[in-house]
Amino acid sequence: MSKTHKTLKKDSNKWIWLIGMVIMIIIILCPIYMMFKYSISDRTSVVTGGAVIPLWPYQPTTEQFNGLLENKGFINAFFTSLEVALLTVCISLVLGAPAAFSLARYKIPGKALIMILLISVRLFPDVVSVIPVTETFIKLKLTNSVLGVSLAHTLLGIPYVIYIAMGVFETIPKDLEEQAQILGASKLYAFLKIIIPIALPGLAAAAIYVFLLSWNEFIFSYFLLLFGESTTLPVLLKKILSWSPQHNTLAAISVMLSVPVIIFTFIVQKYMQAGATAGAVK
Amino acid sequence: MEKDNIVLIEKEGLINNLIVNIRKNSFGILILTPALLYLLAFLVIILYQIIILSLTYVAPNLSETFPTVKNFLDLANSKEFIGAFKRTIVFTLVGTPLELIAGMIAAGLIFREFRGRGIIRSLFTLPLAIPGIVTAIILFILFDYPFGHINDLLLGRHTFFPKIISTPIPWRSSAVFSLGVAMFGKVWRDMPISMLIILSGLQSITKDQYEAAKTMGAGALQQFKYITLPLLIPAISTVLVLRSIEMWKEFIFPFILAGSYPLLGTLIDRAYHEWNSATEAATIGLILLFCIIIFTTFLFYILSWLRRQLVKI
Repeated sequence: MSKTHKTLKKDSNKWIWLIGMVIMIIIILCPIYMMFKYSISDRTSVVTGGAVIPLWPYQPTTEQFNGLLENKGFINAFFTSLEVALLTVCISLVLGAPAAFSLARYKIPGKALIMILLISVRLFPDVVSVIPVTETFIKLKLTNSVLGVSLAHTLLGIPYVIYIAMGVFETIPKDLEEQAQILGASKLYAFLKIIIPIALPGLAAAAIYVFLLSWNEFIFSYFLLLFGESTTLPVLLKKILSWSPQHNTLAAISVMLSVPVIIFTFIVQKYMQAGATAGAVK
Repeated sequence: MEKDNIVLIEKEGLINNLIVNIRKNSFGILILTPALLYLLAFLVIILYQIIILSLTYVAPNLSETFPTVKNFLDLANSKEFIGAFKRTIVFTLVGTPLELIAGMIAAGLIFREFRGRGIIRSLFTLPLAIPGIVTAIILFILFDYPFGHINDLLLGRHTFFPKIISTPIPWRSSAVFSLGVAMFGKVWRDMPISMLIILSGLQSITKDQYEAAKTMGAGALQQFKYITLPLLIPAISTVLVLRSIEMWKEFIFPFILAGSYPLLGTLIDRAYHEWNSATEAATIGLILLFCIIIFTTFLFYILSWLRRQLVKI
């Protein structure tokens, strides 16, 4: 009697779990499916004139993507985004990787304070810091330029580079550089020629993380580029939204913006997790 | 006299130690400096500018007064600011627990062993890979009025879903609905972060602890109450502190989805771009910053008090 009761309870637990799982998967996949659906929708499946919007387009088409690839504004925004992101990666790595090595290896006085500084930079509300940064950049004539946006994105990127790279450098044995120094290499030489090549895969993950951060970033790009000629993809999306365009155009740009992110995220998932929960360590 | 000398010698020793320390680590300090200077420069610029701006009043005829607290007084009397302030508090107080609950449900679902766990885990982190503005725009499309997918669904126009409402809901012209949709987007996108933190908390609890409890005759509920919950408190605290800060400063979802009902974050944008007032924008920013600091400190104390209450040795 009690045994059947137990298996019954176990069974019902399993069913609850399964139902929960299915609901969760639907909630997660639904918006993503809708984005792809809208991006390949033809005009009649979007502007239905009151009829039900179909869950699958009447006539799937790639016309939105073809249109985007011929659209000069989109192409320019795409390449601006790319330039900003690459420049951000370069500055963040050049500044951040040596700093991470230093924090991982040396007994720096005030190290705890520096870690607190990094966490506070990460947690500092960007909607608040954007005003003083924009005002300062206007004076320095850095608005509406790729460099200006990259400098602002670097501020957000450096803490992540340091977190991820510190973890990478800590896994590299100390003996390696000590032996190189015994053989007569300078500290700088040992760092550049021995440590960096070994750390490269981990640093690549940091680079991708910062690339995505800059690629997705909206607030600083929006404030710094609003009145200029060049815009990044997220800002372009916002600008187009205010002209109230057709939904399939919006979705197609969204797809172009997200696909690189989705691909790269799965490549660096392991490190992404460290980045996402960085600052969680107390 | 002698005591003074000892103190002096000790001081000298400390300074000597520091000098030796610096000399020994000179290379480390050298390569740390650029990044440190970069961050410090920005920090100084941000704090200095925000304080100067918020204490500067620009009259309609563009004459500037400094220092004055007129900006703060003006905002305290402004209906728009009070509204945004109230909405932000509600948004944070409702949204933060929701993020925790969503993360706990997701973590609970994938904690047990099953086939394809790795894939499901990746799937659950997928929202993190969708840029915030894209999520916001998809929700903008789905929650369109009068003809959007969600309205279609709730009106019972699809055969597989029951009819719930008879007239379409104007999602964007009500504070509750528009901020509700924005909150849904926020929770949807950030769920993986809460999930990962809770999951690492769950994984730190060993099987032995449960086995020991079982031998002592603890039921499932008691196990949850006396083992899972207390040991999970650090992870829960982390989620609550980090997520509540994110909730306070939320921008992109209310910006796209609830344009007529600004939160403090979106009010900063409005002050800067629509009222053309950098000083007022900075003032709102400074207030938001203070809110975050006070709230987080308060939350921190409550959580450590709670931990002491729950973990009794």
